[in-house]
Amino acid sequence: MGLEIMDDVRRDYIYNLVKRGKREDGRDFRDYREIKVEKDIIKRAEGSARVKIGNTEVLVGVKLEPGEPFPDSPDEGVIITNAELVPLASPEFEPGPPNEDSVQLARVVDRGIRGSEAIDLSKLCIEEGEKVWIVFIDIHVLDNDGNLVDAAALGAIAALLNIHIPAERYGLSSSEGEDTNTLPIRDKPVAVTMVDVGGEILVDPNYNEEKAAVSGLTVITNTDGTISGMQKYGREGLAEDKISEMVEIGIEKADELRRKFL
Amino acid sequence: MKKEGIELIKDGKRLDGRDFDELRPIKIEVGVLKRADGSCYFELGDNKVIAAVYGPREMHPRHAQDAKMAVLKYRYNMAPFSVDERKRPGPDRRSVEISKVSREALEPVIIKEFYPKTEIDVYVEILQSDAGTRTAGINAASVALADAGIPMKDLVSSVAVGKIDGEVVLDLNAVEDNYGEADMPIAMVARRNTITALQMDGRMTKEEFDKGLKLAMNACRQIYELQRTALIERYSEM
Amino acid sequence: MYKVVIPGDFISEDVNRAGEGTYIEGGKVYAMRYGVVDDKEEIKVVPFVGKYQPARGDVVIGRITEISFPYWIVDIASPYEARLHMSEATPDGEKRIEFGSMHTYLDIDDLIVAKVTNVDPLMRIDLGLMEEFQLRGSGRLITIPYTKVPRIIGRRGSMIKMLKEKCNCFIFVAKNGRIWISGKEDDMELASDVILMIANEAHTSGLTDRVASFLDSHRRIRMYNRKNKGLKR
Repeated sequence: MGLEIMDDVRRDYIYNLVKRGKREDGRDFRDYREIKVEKDIIKRAEGSARVKIGNTEVLVGVKLEPGEPFPDSPDEGVIITNAELVPLASPEFEPGPPNEDSVQLARVVDRGIRGSEAIDLSKLCIEEGEKVWIVFIDIHVLDNDGNLVDAAALGAIAALLNIHIPAERYGLSSSEGEDTNTLPIRDKPVAVTMVDVGGEILVDPNYNEEKAAVSGLTVITNTDGTISGMQKYGREGLAEDKISEMVEIGIEKADELRRKFL
Repeated sequence: MKKEGIELIKDGKRLDGRDFDELRPIKIEVGVLKRADGSCYFELGDNKVIAAVYGPREMHPRHAQDAKMAVLKYRYNMAPFSVDERKRPGPDRRSVEISKVSREALEPVIIKEFYPKTEIDVYVEILQSDAGTRTAGINAASVALADAGIPMKDLVSSVAVGKIDGEVVLDLNAVEDNYGEADMPIAMVARRNTITALQMDGRMTKEEFDKGLKLAMNACRQIYELQRTALIERYSEM
Repeated sequence: MYKVVIPGDFISEDVNRAGEGTYIEGGKVYAMRYGVVDDKEEIKVVPFVGKYQPARGDVVIGRITEISFPYWIVDIASPYEARLHMSEATPDGEKRIEFGSMHTYLDIDDLIVAKVTNVDPLMRIDLGLMEEFQLRGSGRLITIPYTKVPRIIGRRGSMIKMLKEKCNCFIFVAKNGRIWISGKEDDMELASDVILMIANEAHTSGLTDRVASFLDSHRRIRMYNRKNKGLKR
């Protein structure tokens, strides 16, 4: 009972701020919180990045392993994306099998990378039909203060850039020169998440804003402004023109983030 | 999803003869199950889905009850024989995500305050799949919820658009989904023009997105009419 | 034929008369349920099916599902279970029932007729036992959607009166859609069939006449059968 009262109080508080043109932390509606991206921090992973957006903190590790290709794409590598909302990141996260939120998080991030074809999967074939490189993208949420998607997506692409394929570890030294040892990345998809509070669009919602919002949208875009993934959330609907506006904002903000951090 | 190799558009028509803005044939039957409180059988092209609603009924576990309103639950499940390569029974990550997105697609219209502390269960089974199952599921669930007497503001309708051979088209079938460049399922409250679900997979420019969204919204309005007709006719046969 | 509506259908602009089963938006009345419009007094939508929502004063038929001292927990065909305090089972509340002996008064699966005495904001429902009705002995219980009960009763009780006479049964119709029928086997069969027929065709017109002729032809058939098979009743 107590928690529900607080939910209402928080919702009203955020809503009233927005109606007065303000946000809890003083940001403009279109601004991100302070972002920090640190690469290569986990030695054991082939690629890694630690992203902080405000107080939200996500660690993404990328590991490569040889494995079997999918039957319908025998000469292509495989991407497997997973997200863990570990209990230490929030009083709301419980130990146990992946729940719908962590599944959604992983699939949305995966969608953006896959849709942009950022990883050239055809270059990850070791032996057609038998062996290809599997790219494991593992998202580990360490602190949930809202907008896990953008942090995870940024971490994923940051971790993927400049990865050394561990051919030697598996006795698969490539014989075609140095360049083939770097994971081939062709684009830099960036996710931008926005929520609707009281009819206003807020970019990069923090935890309270996420709870106060009734609907939201993530737009993942590429260097050339094309869209490679979208996902709507929330218990209420969005009007067509609001969606259109959000897409435009998404393209714009993605460019900013790409320039600054990738 | 994006495999290469086949031509999906020939002489301005799609492989199954449809125009770019044409839906596959739809069949709707209301109240097909005896035990469920509400139900609907829905066909969209070769997709065959069935939705059942139980509730409102007492919610368990008790601590998960909401003292002020009913809790909506949605379970999307594919039968093992519904796809070419047998699908292992049980929820997989794709089903978990689809269940969540579908639930959120329906929540805006359900008047949950009417039945505090209860749960409303929606079960959607995909009996045969040919791409677009989640949209067929949402359409069927909407009708089943009405059939169960659940208080709602409106129905929700759903369809997917996509991009094949560079063209934006409506309602992809499985071949088009496998070899196409983008897939975008949406759900909408047809009368109010509010979008309650939106996902995009693949790659599209903003212009293609705008075009696709309009195409999808139009199709949802058509589907709404079919849903409404099916419900009205069920009780008008006497 | 009454007008069939689905949720979201526009009904009227007369918001002052908006009643059950409708909602108001932008100065208009819309249907909130799948059912038929009844706009004789208030503008209502009577749903085809739905779950019974208990209200104070309703008389219901309940089934004991649990004994949880000092209450019996009762299923009243609603998403909410109800409770009957043990003092209800003792006349004038005199004797205190002892822990462990509640089942000697009312046991699991027993049927009771009760009045809803209170529904609180947490949906806790209290019942008061109506002892003048004993649902024991030979008889059967059928359940129809609570929304059809008014049709079974009919205007000023005309339909239920006809049923009782022509089926020669004791028929008790409770607000929660549960109906107790008691009589000879054949008669109860007929009564069940007719009640289900009314429930299925509740939204049509001319129903009363159809029911009357159905009952009459059934009686004729039975009399004919008896005559020809030499059955004595």
